Amino acid sequence: MRRFIRQDECVSTSTHKLSKLLSHSRPDDPIVWWCNKLITRDKFLGDVYFVASQLPATQYAINMCNDRYLFLVAFAAVLVARQTNLLPPNRAKTVLEDIIESYDDCYYLSDELIDDLDLQQHKISLPAFQNELHRAGALKKGQGDDLNDAPIDIPKIADKHIAAITFTSGSTGRPQANKKNWGGLVLGALLAQSRFGIKDGEAVSIIATVPPQHMYGLETSVMLPLLTGSLVYSGATFYPEDIRNAVANMPEPRILITTPVHLNTCNELLVDLPAVKFIISATAPLATCIAETAEVKFQTQVMEIFGCTETGSIASRRTLDGDDWQLYDGFKINRFDDKAFISGAYLAEPVALADLVEVESDERFKIVGRCADMVNIAGKRGSLSDLNQKLLGIEGVRDGVFYLPDIEGATLGTTKERLVAFVVAPELDEKKIISSLSVMVDPVFLPRPLYKVNSLPRTQSSKLPRNRLTEFYNTLRKT
Amino acid sequence: MNEKSELEQNIAQLIVDTLNLEEVDADEIEPDQPLFNEGLGLDSIDALELALAISKRYGCKIKSDEENARVFSSLRALSDYVQTNGATK
Repeated sequence: MRRFIRQDECVSTSTHKLSKLLSHSRPDDPIVWWCNKLITRDKFLGDVYFVASQLPATQYAINMCNDRYLFLVAFAAVLVARQTNLLPPNRAKTVLEDIIESYDDCYYLSDELIDDLDLQQHKISLPAFQNELHRAGALKKGQGDDLNDAPIDIPKIADKHIAAITFTSGSTGRPQANKKNWGGLVLGALLAQSRFGIKDGEAVSIIATVPPQHMYGLETSVMLPLLTGSLVYSGATFYPEDIRNAVANMPEPRILITTPVHLNTCNELLVDLPAVKFIISATAPLATCIAETAEVKFQTQVMEIFGCTETGSIASRRTLDGDDWQLYDGFKINRFDDKAFISGAYLAEPVALADLVEVESDERFKIVGRCADMVNIAGKRGSLSDLNQKLLGIEGVRDGVFYLPDIEGATLGTTKERLVAFVVAPELDEKKIISSLSVMVDPVFLPRPLYKVNSLPRTQSSKLPRNRLTEFYNTLRKT
Repeated sequence: MNEKSELEQNIAQLIVDTLNLEEVDADEIEPDQPLFNEGLGLDSIDALELALAISKRYGCKIKSDEENARVFSSLRALSDYVQTNGATK
């Protein structure tokens, strides 16, 4: 039995200081572009201490900040306060409620509070005056109330401290928790830095279109900038014009962190982009044609990262180089029964991959498909059995199932793929069922359309094999 | 006033066609009805697709800013935006 490398064998057991992460930057170095101004390291740290001093004294903070800079400050402040960031997979009400039920000692932390939440909420606010942040820094140094210009202390966070808990929908119907300790997050960022050739202290500009709450956005737009002292953009990056504007505002060299859907839209809408060193895509496999167009149009290289919420990012490739993925240093892949397992680096134990892979060596693999239960809609991963359970839990629904049609000619990573649902619910109309679903799942999984039917095409043993569903779907479409 | 202008009708059809909303009749989309979350129930992925389609058809670029934060709030709002910023009608 192969011995798997534990995280504490990879890194020293001494406390990982943020100073290791920001050690190449000086107090006045900019680390975030936010609201038309550059935020320096010291301003950031001052904000962090200030926010930390305001937080409720509980163990878990559900960090739902919408703004990237505020998320970054909140994330770090939660750590400084020795708390853990809870990061829900989406903003669905019932998912939030499930998490609240599982963590007694938590509160909602955001830049925008929400209605109808039976939980303590804390709205993040930054120090209004410059001297407030200096005071926060001075207090940290134990210098009382003196205002001074000394650089603000960089906080120390223990490797083993659980920095964040991410959640995935599994087949159990309840969100599955994945604990991320600080040492593991730092190591993940080091591995990415090494893979993408970002040198220590190199001031790279990072523009991300993905939210910081999810592993991909957390690693690339929170941890990576903290590690390398890069400048991260905090502003709208939703529409292609926003992305263009963001890139133009940031100094070279620049890295664009995005997804197949966004990259495809940029290809279609933008004539060009100011120079980007490379583009990284993740959350779903990137079609070669999208990568090709982007490389030519934007005069850059398009790379991809492979990973999942459970493992974090573990491998990369340049799309146009071919199907092989190369694991980050320290990870290994093995087949066991009919599944592939990833182990090594910071993983406490081997993790099974949801994707079907062909293992080429213990460091290289190809993706050949997905396990039948998993779907990926516009980059968001979902479990069909989880979705089905939620559907069946709606009062008035007697039977129902989600189905993902094969769409001819759909390019991977464009938005044509949507789930449909077949539902037996004589007393409910489609709108009511969809409305009930909408508080339970990410909006991209809502069925389009939802077909109300008299019965599902179950076999004698009550199963719903895919070929039956396909036939059923085709019949419904004709009517 | 719930009568739709020609532009609004065209955009309603564009929404249905672009997003493959099989069960929706373009005529049924009310001009003041919310497009996102409730009403038509579109999501952020749809917003990108729509921005693409609108840009290609009408030549206007959509970006996130204070002014046009509400451009997708309803068919009427979208139509007004296209009217003001579009190159072709």
